[in-house]
Amino acid sequence: MDILTKLYEMTAFAQTGGDWAFLIMILLAFVLLYLGIVKKYEPLLLIPIGFGVLLANFPGGGMGVAQATSEGLVQLPDGSWENIWDMPLHKIAHELGLMNFIYYMCIKTGFIPPIIFMGVGALTDFGPMLRNLRLSIFGAGAQFGIFAVLLASLAMGFTPQEAASLGIIGGADGPTAIFTTIKLAPHLLGPIAIAAYSYMALVPVIIPLVVKALCSKKELMINMKQQDKLYPNKTEIKNMRILKILFPISVTTIVALLVPTAVSLVGMLMFGNLLKELGAMTSRLFDTATNAIMNTATIFLGLSVGATMTAQAFLNLTTIGIVVGGFLAFALSIAAGIFMVKIFNLFVKKKVNPLVGATGLSAVPMASRVANDIATKYDPKNHVLNYCMASNISGVIGSAVAAGVLISFLQ
Amino acid sequence: MGLGLTLMGIGMVTVFAILLIVINLSKLLINIVNKVAPEEEASKKVAPAPSKPIIDSTVMAIIQAAVSEMTGGKGTVANVEKL
Repeated sequence: MDILTKLYEMTAFAQTGGDWAFLIMILLAFVLLYLGIVKKYEPLLLIPIGFGVLLANFPGGGMGVAQATSEGLVQLPDGSWENIWDMPLHKIAHELGLMNFIYYMCIKTGFIPPIIFMGVGALTDFGPMLRNLRLSIFGAGAQFGIFAVLLASLAMGFTPQEAASLGIIGGADGPTAIFTTIKLAPHLLGPIAIAAYSYMALVPVIIPLVVKALCSKKELMINMKQQDKLYPNKTEIKNMRILKILFPISVTTIVALLVPTAVSLVGMLMFGNLLKELGAMTSRLFDTATNAIMNTATIFLGLSVGATMTAQAFLNLTTIGIVVGGFLAFALSIAAGIFMVKIFNLFVKKKVNPLVGATGLSAVPMASRVANDIATKYDPKNHVLNYCMASNISGVIGSAVAAGVLISFLQ
Repeated sequence: MGLGLTLMGIGMVTVFAILLIVINLSKLLINIVNKVAPEEEASKKVAPAPSKPIIDSTVMAIIQAAVSEMTGGKGTVANVEKL
């Protein structure tokens, strides 16, 4: 009987302490895994996040991330409190376990999001943006949702730091949202990361929804190629290869001088891009940045973000506010981009398809692909992909700059 | 609320300003590159002429039209092979 009692005490059931909220989180983990595996919504992220949630919520497992207080204090398993920033990494690993070691070493230090940005940069072609510079400005309009939701969140009672982290979901850029939240409101990292990546996965649903509500058929049938033929571009690019090499170096220099807080994101994005554009000279580094490093970073990011979602940290009204606010931020960003194009069209002869504004939020290149699908539904010959990519790519820079502004004012 | 409005104003102005600077910087770079290094380095590869046409001329014309449509007239089909 004594052995049976000890066997029972070994299981997670004996360590629940009468609190069964962890079952809800395990159910949520199954839902996330289902969405990633069966529905294929951002599987590379939702599967590690879902599994991280699963690991974090078994009582006695010690895999959940221990949230530090605003003074940096965390509770150790023996009940005592210690300042996390005074603890050496080996002690964090020993006292708080594997997930806390990964979280406090790779995530909380702000190390992983810029590393992922490097991979994103290496996979991004700035060619469409350079060919359609005029359209790149719409990447700025679509950042409006970030600030509108920040305003609404402040009115709802969130702190400025929390409101900024919530608003940045509207930038539709996972690493940017995570980077900003780590800096401003790390206790909200789990729900914000989930909201950001879930809405990015739902881009094929959200963009058509907003576009249909705000654009007429006539506007969506504006053929960008015809407009180009009617009003040809004055600037001709004679040597794209050299231009693409100079572009990341110049942009990094300018952004670093004007918004230094954005440079860890923009700088790494541009560094990754430079590796790509240099071709054979740096092909080994390019290969490592886009494969080995990015995949490792994605695994650590996904698992540890999932592990922040323990029942105590996630099951509260704030999470519901983040889910609703995140959707609003996303939809408002798309709407603001569309309205910017509409206003622009009032003053120019060379009309722009409002879909170019809708793709001003990041989510590269999915947003552009979705916009192209919408355009070709109305006119099968109207391919807007390259034009949408211009605002889509500049939106990545725009959301990183917006994050830089928020961090420098609120940190 | 005042803080929110201030952040909105500063944030949107900064984002617009930075993107305008990036756009104008790119225009400047295009002009400089066009003057200093106006031509792409010759990388024209001579495609080996196939001894007999593998692809039917109608299919080839369709592929060429599709590539031209997708690349805005800039792309060309150098060779099509059956694997």
